[in-house]
Amino acid sequence: MNDPAESRKAANRLLSVGKLVCGADVDPLLEQVADGGQLNAHQRDCVHCRAAIGEFTALWDPVREVAAAPVLAPAELTATVIRRIRRLVHDVGYTLQITDGGAIRIAARIVAALARDSARLVPGVRVAFGRSNLSTLGAFAGDGPLGQRPGGASVGVLGRTAVVDLAVAVNYGMPVHDVARDIQRQVVAALHHGLGLQNVTVNVTVDDVLDDAAE
Amino acid sequence: MSEVDDAYLVRRAQAGYPDAYEFLVQRHSGMAYRVALRLVGNHHDAQDIAQEALVAAWESLAGFNADSSFSTWLYRIVTRRALNKVTRSRSARCLDLLDDVPSPGGGAAARVERDLMVDAVTNALAALPFSQRVVLVLHHFEGLSYAEVASVTRSTVPAVRSHLFRARRTLARTLEEWR
Repeated sequence: MNDPAESRKAANRLLSVGKLVCGADVDPLLEQVADGGQLNAHQRDCVHCRAAIGEFTALWDPVREVAAAPVLAPAELTATVIRRIRRLVHDVGYTLQITDGGAIRIAARIVAALARDSARLVPGVRVAFGRSNLSTLGAFAGDGPLGQRPGGASVGVLGRTAVVDLAVAVNYGMPVHDVARDIQRQVVAALHHGLGLQNVTVNVTVDDVLDDAAE
Repeated sequence: MSEVDDAYLVRRAQAGYPDAYEFLVQRHSGMAYRVALRLVGNHHDAQDIAQEALVAAWESLAGFNADSSFSTWLYRIVTRRALNKVTRSRSARCLDLLDDVPSPGGGAAARVERDLMVDAVTNALAALPFSQRVVLVLHHFEGLSYAEVASVTRSTVPAVRSHLFRARRTLARTLEEWR
């Protein structure tokens, strides 16, 4: 039993035999070892079962060790997937600001992300997700080249105007309406200061209340 | 965000909030890669499978009706894509399951011993028929219950038990050849 190689050979012989001297089936013992099961009353008193379990334990230990070893995903995997998904999302509108130095365009996704991150800072907000809702402002898009996007829909050129939808979950016990108003104020301020947007509509949907016991 | 469960994130993603899905990607990409690696045995294919599975899950998310958990659903997509890859290439024997993991201390002899052990297990795993490999990886490596494995493989608990029974025997016999 002390020699791993001998243990494996013994284990294999056991599998061929099928039954131990005490009458116990061998395969359930291998299953028990592989699943980390405890000894039952018979096994605690049976030298044959305990010997077989010892053999199988030596055999299965390498499997257990490989299974427990961490497997690190490539660092770029998550970023690559997210990049591909963002390309699949057709919401590719832009804000447009004309300055003395030229045009500044900010992707709608950035507007949504900043709004989301601002909302998450409001006390009582557990989670928040943002989506730009530029399609509701299609009338602003016009016919210029910036108003075109793949798929034929025309949204995107919105000057300094943005509409953002936020879905939020708030902590249980918080005054939902007050939290929602705080979100609107904070997001409007963040988009104004952060992106220079002056006409911002923030639609807040509080769609879940989460118990904070998990925290 | 760690306290928000997958079901909530799925609902938000289905409602058109792609950043909710990004959290799911961050949470599950490691699992997708790990399972793919253990099923196909090489990093390059595993990365491809994980990436394609996570994008495919996004594309199919509207049709995901939450009759199973998101992770079970993703396990299913990953294993199906791994099967396709193995069936096409018949090259699931590249032996680098753990080669990115730093070896533990203990000197050269211990490292050699460990490498031999890893090779032995990896070879034994790769030699299993795919149906046995899947249940073994999901149950013994990923820690899924028989019922969860049955759900992933769209099978039954008795069938999972049967595949596991054979997989363990085959693995045990193969490991005997080690050293």
